[in-house]
Parts: sequence; C-alpha cells; structure tokens
Amino acid sequence: MSLFYLLAVILIASAIFTITQKSPVYSVVGLLVNFLALAALYFTLNAEFLGVIQIVIYSGAILMLFVFVIALLSSGVGPFRAGPNRLPRIAAPALLTTLVAFGFLIFGIAQRPFGPLPPHRPTSFLGNVGDPNVFGSVGDFGVALFTVQLLPFEVTAFILMVAVIGVVLIAGDAVPQPTLGRHRPQKRAAEREPILKAPAP
Amino acid sequence: MSVDVTNYIALSAVMFFIGVAGVIVRRNPLIVLMAIELMFNAANLALVAFARVWVNNAGHIFVFLVVTVAAAEAAIGLAIVVAVFRRAENVDVDEVAGLHG
Amino acid sequence: MSGLLLAVWLLPFAGALAIWALGPQLRRGAGWIGSATVLLAFVLTLVQWGAATASGGAHRALVTWIPGFTLGLLLDPLSLLWSLIITGVGGLILVYSIGYMWSDRAIARFFAYMNFFVFAMLTLVLSDNLVGLLVGWGLVGLASYFLIGFWFDRPSAVEAARKAFVINVVGDVGIMFAVFALYKATGSITFAGIFSQRDALSGGLLFMICGALFVGCAAKSAQVPLQTWLPDAMEGPTPVSALIHAATMVTAGVYLIARFAPLWNASPPARELVGVVGAVTALLGAILGIAQWDIKRILAYSTMSQIGYMIMGVGIGAYQAGVLHFFTHAFFKAGLFLTAGLLIHELHDEQDVRKMGGLSRRMPFAFYAMLAGTLAIIGFPGFSGYFSKDAVVYAMLEHGQPALYAVGALTAAITAYYMFRMLFLTFFGPYRGELEDAELGILPDRRAHRDEHMPPVHPAELTRPAVPVHGHAPAWLMNLPVAILALFAVIAGYVAIGGATSPWWRFFGGLFGAAPAVAASTVAFSESLSTLLVSALVAIGIIVAFVRYGSPAAQLASVERIRAESLGRPAIFAHAFYFDDAIDALVVRPARSVGTFIARFVDPHVLDGGVRDVAWGAGALGVIFRALQTGLVRSYALTILVGTACFIAYFALIGSAR
Repeated sequence: MSLFYLLAVILIASAIFTITQKSPVYSVVGLLVNFLALAALYFTLNAEFLGVIQIVIYSGAILMLFVFVIALLSSGVGPFRAGPNRLPRIAAPALLTTLVAFGFLIFGIAQRPFGPLPPHRPTSFLGNVGDPNVFGSVGDFGVALFTVQLLPFEVTAFILMVAVIGVVLIAGDAVPQPTLGRHRPQKRAAEREPILKAPAP
Repeated sequence: MSVDVTNYIALSAVMFFIGVAGVIVRRNPLIVLMAIELMFNAANLALVAFARVWVNNAGHIFVFLVVTVAAAEAAIGLAIVVAVFRRAENVDVDEVAGLHG
Repeated sequence: MSGLLLAVWLLPFAGALAIWALGPQLRRGAGWIGSATVLLAFVLTLVQWGAATASGGAHRALVTWIPGFTLGLLLDPLSLLWSLIITGVGGLILVYSIGYMWSDRAIARFFAYMNFFVFAMLTLVLSDNLVGLLVGWGLVGLASYFLIGFWFDRPSAVEAARKAFVINVVGDVGIMFAVFALYKATGSITFAGIFSQRDALSGGLLFMICGALFVGCAAKSAQVPLQTWLPDAMEGPTPVSALIHAATMVTAGVYLIARFAPLWNASPPARELVGVVGAVTALLGAILGIAQWDIKRILAYSTMSQIGYMIMGVGIGAYQAGVLHFFTHAFFKAGLFLTAGLLIHELHDEQDVRKMGGLSRRMPFAFYAMLAGTLAIIGFPGFSGYFSKDAVVYAMLEHGQPALYAVGALTAAITAYYMFRMLFLTFFGPYRGELEDAELGILPDRRAHRDEHMPPVHPAELTRPAVPVHGHAPAWLMNLPVAILALFAVIAGYVAIGGATSPWWRFFGGLFGAAPAVAASTVAFSESLSTLLVSALVAIGIIVAFVRYGSPAAQLASVERIRAESLGRPAIFAHAFYFDDAIDALVVRPARSVGTFIARFVDPHVLDGGVRDVAWGAGALGVIFRALQTGLVRSYALTILVGTACFIAYFALIGSAR
C-alpha cells in the first residue's frame, strides 16, 4: 500500500523534473529515475518480465541512445541553440486543455471504479513474484510470446528492421547534404595527377 | 496491502498528461522525445494494470510491442534530430516549419 | 451450313480490313480484293438458297450478349433476297468502280469504305434481332457518311455527308424507341420472339411502335419529310450513289417494314399512314425530277420517287409487290446510275444535262443501257418495272385505296416524262458541251460561292502523287457490269409473271402473313385494264417528253428551250418545295438560338460561373484553414490534444450517462 504511494510520488516527481529541466542531461536522469520506479511498480503488478525489460531496454538502451545523441550534439550540459519562440502563448491553452482532458479522464474513471486487485493465491495461476510459470513470470510470458502471439512478435522484428533502415537513411552520410557543402565534386580522372609519373628522358 | 486498480489508472493518467504538457510546451526536441517516452510508459502502466485485473498476459505482450515501437520511434526521432542539427542553425522544434501553409 | 452464313457476313469485312491495312501498297489491287470478297460472298449466299428457303430459314446463334439476349444471323427468303442484291449488285458495282476510280488518288480508301458498307448492310439484313439490325442500321449510315464525303476536299461534299448523317440519326433514334418499346411489351429482341408475342401489342402501343419504326424508315429511305439529304448525297462518287443511294441502303426502310410485316398487319392505321407518306414521296420526287438539270439529281429524285412506290406497297400490305419493286429497282436504278457514271467519266466530270446532248452516236453502248434502264423504270410493257410497278399500283385498289392508286398512276406518267426528258437531253440533239454557261442559262452556283468561305483542306492524301493516268482502265471493266444490270433491268420482272401463282409469290411463302385490308376492296376494274390504263398514262408521259425535247424540231431548238427553262424555273422547284427551308426554320434555327443562348448565358454564367464560385469558395476556405497549417509541431500537437480531450469528454459523459 505504502509502497505504491511512495512509487507514485517518485514517478510524478521525476516526470515533472524531466520535462522542466533546461538541460537535457538532467532530463535523462529524471527519466531514468522514472523508469526505475515504473519497473518497481510493474513488479507489484506481477509483471516481472516487463519489469526486467523496462530496466534493460528503456534504461539500458533507449536512455543510452539519448545520452549518445546529447553527447554528439553538444557538451550535454548547456542549453541547445534555440531560435525565437514562435508560439510564445501556447503554454496557457495547452495546460488548460490538458487539465480539462485530465479532469474528464479522472471523472470517467471515477464513474466506474475497478475495485481492488484480485488477491495472490500461491496455489493458483497467480503466484508470487519470482515463481516460475505463474502469471507474469518469464516462463508464462515466453510461452505466450512464442505460441499464440508469435505473429505480432515477428512483426516487431520487421518494425525494428524498418527503423534501422530509416535511421541509416536519415542520419547516415550516404545522403548528400547540400546545405553543408561538404562533398566537393571529385576531379575527373583526366584532371587527376598521375600516380606514377613517367621518368623524364 | 492490495491497492485499488483505479489508483494505478489515475497514476497512469497523471503521467500521461505530464508527458503531453512536455510535448506541447517544450521546444528542445530531445526533451520532447523524452516526454513522448513518458506518455508511452504511462500507457504501458495502464496496460499492465489491466492485465493484472483480468489475469491475462495479452496486456503484457502488448506492452512488449509498445516497448519495441517506442525503441524504433526513439531511434528515428533522434536520427531526425541529428539530421536537423546538421543542416539547421538552431535545434528547435519551431525551426522545422518547412510545411507551413 | 451455318458456317457459310458467318462467312458471307464476315467476308466483306475481311476485305475491308485487308484493304485498310494494306491500302497504300495495294492501290488498284484494293479494287480486286474488294470485288472478289463481295462476289465470293454472293456465291456463298447463292449456295445457301436451299437452306434459306426451307422452313424457318438458316439460323446461326453468334453470341449471348446478356443472358436471354442471344444475337444471331438469320437467312430467310427476305434476307436472302436482300443479301443477294447487296452482294450481287454490290459486286458488279465494285467491279465497275475499279474502272471508275482508276486514277483517283484514294482508290484504296474508297474500296475499304465500300466493303465496309457491304458488311454493314449485311449486318442489317442478316441479323435475327432488333439490336443487330440497329447496329447495322447505324453502320450503314456511317458508311454512307464516309462515302458521300469521300472527296472531303470539297466543302459541299462534307456538308452533304454531315446532313445525311444527322438526318439518318433522327431515324436511328426512332428505331431505338421502337426497340425499347418492343422489348418492354414482348420481353424479346429477336424477330421470332417478338412475333410470337405480338398478341401483347395492340392499338395505340402498336401504332406508336410502328410509327417509331417508320421514322427510321423515312430517314433511311428518304421519305417525306426526311428526304432532303438524298439529292445532296449525290456529292459522293457515282458508284456510291448506285450502290448505297439507289440499290441497297435507301431500301433498308422497305426491308424493315417487310421484316415486321406481322406487326404492320395488325395495325391498319399505321399502314394507312405509311401508304400515304409513300404516295406523297413518290409524287413529290417525280415532280421535282422534272425540274432538275444535274443528271445525278434527276436520278436521285427518281430513286426517292421509286422508293415511295416500294414503301407505299409494303406499307399498304402488298409486301410481295413492294419487295418486287425493290428487286427490279435495284437493277435498273443501279444500271442507270452506272450509265450516268459512264457519261460523267466520258465528259470529264460534267454532270449537267444542259451541257450534254447528242451522245447516242458517241456512246451507243451507254445509250442502249440507259434506254433499257429508262424503259424499265417507267414501266414500259415487257420491262421489269412494268411488272413491279403495276403490281404495286394495282394493290392500292385491292386494299381499298383509290386515292393512292390515282397518285401512283399519275406518278407513273410523270416518271415517264422526266426520264425521257433526261434521255432526250443527254443522247439527242446537238452536243452542247462547248457552249458558254450563259448561253444555256446556267447561273453561277450558290453553293460554289459558299464554298469559298470554308477553310481549305490539305490532307496528306491530296499531296500524294496521283496514280498515273496512262494505262486507261479496260473498257469491259465498266461496261460489263452495266451490261449485266441492263440485262436484268429487262428480264428481272419475269419472275412475277402469273401474279399470286408466280415463282416470286411462292418464294416468300407465308413469310408476311395475311394483311387484312385497311378498307374494303375497291377493285372497280380488272388488273389487265388497270395495266392498260397505267400504260396509257406512261405513253402520254413519253409523248409529252418527245414533243418537248425529242422531236426533230425540238432537238433543233433545244438550246433556246433549255435557256428559257433554266431561267424560268419556278422558285418552288429550285427550292425543292422548301423542305430544306422549313427544316431550317423549324429545327435548325431554334436549335441554333438555343445553342447561342446556352453559349452566351448558361455556359459562362451558370455552368462556368458555378464552377468558378465553387473554386472561389474552396480558395476562401483554403485561406482560412491555411492559418492552421503553421508547420509548427507544437501547434499540431495541441490540435491533437484538443481532439483527444473531446474524445475523452465524450466517453466520460457516455459512461456517466449509462
């Protein structure tokens, strides 16, 4: 009970921290805390495999990607070069709409409460976290992933492949960058200096 | 010990709208991407909570797919940021307005 | 057997395709291919005589268009007769055309069109259903259009072709209405199907259907008031006039009425209407024939007049007589046209009889051919027209139409007069070809004047070098067909000797059914007396013509008489009874003013204006919505958020309402 509220406070606080920092590196740190707390929350919901991949993939892979990009683009501590703010007054309507939508969502949830979670019963399918072959365990998840959900699983592989190709196309050097003008036209073969000069007679 | 699922859903909603606010208000593309990750995770939290209510691991599989898509999205988004950074003077979501009417 | 039928139908088309594909290389060879395919089709038709005259005729199903609509070919005595004329007379005319078109630049195109016409006409007569008939009906109109406008560098020819096509389309529309109405009433489009259900048709509906069919007949067969295109159609080459505008296409109306005999039998008022129209056309054509100077226009008006006879015959219910007149007319009129073509050829495209004269010594063969044709057309005893015209005219009495009988007899006299007038003017008297126009009273042609305002045409065909003129066409090429046609013009009527017991009557058997008389028979005298009467009228016509143009004294004074007649020709004849002007005033000018109104007001202000307003509205909306298209990601995100908020609110409220 208290664990949930503790994690909830950490989640909300780290989320707000993430979106309010000037420097993206601090945001990454906030996001890391957020993800770790979320992983813990997953464990309380019997989703142990998801808790693990939340740490491994999100914290380990995706956040590292962010950090790499930040390192690539700037020193990582200062603000990015920013141009003029073209929508200076967007914050007020955005926050207002956000609050309204949030209010309606909470209102809708409150209309039909779900009630308490079903209790843990060690003898049933719902077992303790860490037990193999109970709901949410690695065994349970794996069986589902490779039997009934095999097609979506294969599709994820396809999505990742498309993403890889897309990234290479967008950020790779293969595409000429006209505004930077780094690629000077190569001299034609006839204009190139011969590698071996014929010895003078 | 047991917590009402409604609490999880409400927490998910709070996180989601924090992410929304971040997307709209912030101009740093990296932070915008991170706010999007927040929104993904809020949705994941709701999915996991629902899976727990109905003791059905289809929700877990769905979260797995969302994580995959989020990874792909982050990779492409960051690639775009890198590409924009190479061409444009400022790295700013307001800078990329070539499709204005 | 039915494969042969298909071959008959498609052979001319194959010829047309071959000529079309290989035309420029073939040159005169095109004529041989065209003639050979059509004559082969004639032989193959003849082979099927037995099958066609057997009960039910030869039939071949071709294709099921829509389930229940099977299109096919049918060769029964009626279509056999027409096919034989189309391929037989058509083949002769094609052979003649090789000589006639010998040095024309576009000889291959000519034969491609001619073969296409034969194919189209065979489609019309061989089809076993109304849809195929209508297709053929349209295609012959198209072929006619091509061939009238064959010399398309002549603006007058182009104009005549267009006129013929437009008037024919009026008829097509009539037939189309008839097809719709017949299908609605009987549920069938085949002739057999329609006739088996003919009890479903009666009274007003039947009269309407017959009327719609007759609109088609009138347009195609140049009946009043849709006859004005036929004289103008003489702008085409003379063999075209012989084949299409004398022997075959213009008799399609006769075919249609004879084909639908079971329907017409059941509708006496429609038959009466058709009989009257036919009689009026016969008389009108004959009267106008008197006042013409162009040899082809004389023949055109005589064609119109003779088709009036045919329509009168088949319309009133004397199908055998009407079709017999078609049969004999095909020979003598084709022969007359081809003989006229001989004259025109000899005189280097001179068609005005005022500039002819005295040709009997120069062209004795043409003279005898023309004489045979003339005697046949006027119904001189012993010649083919004598049998057919008498049968038609006497049938008027049998069907209780004394007024039509009188018109028919009178027309016979007038026919004799104008045909002999033409004969005397062309073959007797002095040769006037070297005289000045003014001396003969020939006024400058209004039409030629109008031509100057039309843009010149410079197609590639005209810049191509002409076929070398040296190596004149062998004389038999043109003379042989004329001789054969002249021979048949004399003897073709003998099939009908013996009236109702003759081979001709037995050939058709019970095909037409019994036509109940429109009115009580008014036979006041026997057929032989009627024949005598008509022959006497014909003799009077000949005598008048002889006195005015043929006697030695008249021959001597021919130049003065022609000048006086040319200058003194009544305006009503010059304008052909003002039919063109009436159509112009009643149809063309109102249509043109409607068109002008639409072009000046409706089009720019309503249609274009509407489109412009819509475009302006779209543009205005674009200006408004353009503001939303900021290109800024954050504003798009806000828009999405607003939409999301709406969805959330909707579902939250729905959930609370439950």
